[in-house]
Formats: sequence, structure tokens, C-alpha cells
Amino acid sequence: MKKNTACQKPAIAIAAFLLLLSAASLFFLLAEKEETSCAADIFQNGILIRTILLDDIHEPDTFTVEGENGCVNEIEVRPGSIAIISADCPDKLCVHQGFISDSRLPITCLPNRLVIRLRPVSDSPGNAAAPDAVTY
Amino acid sequence: MSVRKTTLLALFTTLSLAIFAAESAIPPLVPIPGIKLGLANIVTLILLRQFSARDALVVLVSRILLSAFLFGQALSLLYSLTGGLCSLCVMAVVMKVLQKKLIFLTGAMGGLTHNLGQLAVAFAITRTAGVAAYLPFLILSGIVTGLFTGLCAGFAGRLLPPLPPDTV
Repeated sequence: MKKNTACQKPAIAIAAFLLLLSAASLFFLLAEKEETSCAADIFQNGILIRTILLDDIHEPDTFTVEGENGCVNEIEVRPGSIAIISADCPDKLCVHQGFISDSRLPITCLPNRLVIRLRPVSDSPGNAAAPDAVTY
Repeated sequence: MSVRKTTLLALFTTLSLAIFAAESAIPPLVPIPGIKLGLANIVTLILLRQFSARDALVVLVSRILLSAFLFGQALSLLYSLTGGLCSLCVMAVVMKVLQKKLIFLTGAMGGLTHNLGQLAVAFAITRTAGVAAYLPFLILSGIVTGLFTGLCAGFAGRLLPPLPPDTV
């Protein structure tokens, strides 16, 4: 592609902006998180419906969460990790994500509006949103 | 709008719908909602370059509505519409600033804003601040897939014949 001086400056600015943004994202993704014991908060429609201390789990256990439209997610907890093991949503992305054991990425089932996120036990579920806004 | 142009835009809508359908047959590569190639964006980019933002908007909205009727759920309509409109606005501006050159940069900006728009909808729907954890994933994937569709649009645009005078 032939370079044109009139569009070179904005092009460099845009490329730099994109590079910077990618670098920042990569930094966050690769940043090590300290291993702490976690509590799993299960949100439905943004409301905390259940909290499980993963350290208190010694035997694998499953339970189901039902949504307002009759949608069902089956959740399994193991010592230190949690997963959605079956769901009636069409894409099953939440199931494919498997077990999570750190607070890096929550499990989200968008069709059923279900979010499971882990937080270090020192935080309270109420202020889980606050450090998030700062970190990301 | 001339008959010729209407027909051409209808053809482009069909093309983007077909691309969209073919893409939805590909199983998701990453278990993160919102990450996909977005190949139909190639058509939007080509239209932005060869025609105008208005024509791209017409084709984009038609494609999203049609795909929602054909394959989708009501919820995915909200996501694609918000993401599509956000990215179209930004791409139209960037395309103008870059004088229709370096189209892959326009694509990358479009992919980025598309994903940001979708994340905003996800936040509005789940009302959970935790969806912000997806931000770095969505930023990266938006830029990478946008670069890819932008390159595709660049190469495809070179092969397209110049438009007949009455269509512009």
C-alpha cells in the first residue's frame, strides 16, 4: 500500500493507540495473581444468590440454579474450584469454560444471566465491584 | 437511490448474511462469550470504502435483523446491534481520517469498539461489575479479529471492479 503523508500521522496515532491497548490487556492477562483461598459468589440477574467458601468444600457436590424463564444451570463445586457442568443455554460456553480456581475470569452464562466469580475470602461480596473497577 | 444501487446493496446484504451463517457454523474457539471472527465485518468495511456510511448502515442493520430472525435469539440481537452500530460509527470516522487507506487499522478499531459495545450490553443485562474481567480478552480479540477482517477487506477491495457512475 502506498504511503500518503496526509494520513500518516493519524495512522501512526491509531496504530500506537491499538498497540498500547493490546499491551495493557496482555499485561493484565499475564499478571500473576496471588494464590489465596477463594469464595465463589453466584449472581443471577446481578443479585448475589449464593456464596460458597471453596475451602469448606471437602467432597465434590452438585446443585442446580433455576432462572426466571425456567432455564437451568447445574453447578459442581470441588475443593478449591467451581464449574457449570451442564446448562440449557444454546452455546454452552459456560460449560466449556470448565473449572475455575482463581478470580481472573468469572464464569458467565449470558443467556441465563448467571455469573459465578471467585474472590479472595478477605473481601466481602458487597465491595467486590469496587476493586474491580480499579484493577481493570 | 437508483435501482442499480438498491440491487447492489441487497446483494451485499445477502453476501454478509451468507458469511454470517457460514461463520456461525464454526464452533467457538475460546470459551469466552463475545469472541468470534466477525467475518461479516468485511462487507461493512468494503461498503464504507466503496459506498458511504449510510449505505453501510443500511446493509448492517438489514443483516443483523435478518440474522436474528433466521438464527438468533432476541438477546443476541441486542448484542450485535449495539456492537455493530458502535463499530460502524467509529469505522466511518477512522476511514475518513485515514482517507480510505490502511483499511486494516479501520478494521481493528471497528473490532475493538464492537466488543466494547457488547461488553457494555453484557454489563447492562447482568448488572454485574464482574463482567469487566472480560475487558482485556475482548480488547485483544477485537483488535486481532478486526485486523484480520480489515486485511480481508483490503485484499477483496482490490479485486472489486470500479463502481458504475450511477451507483455512487
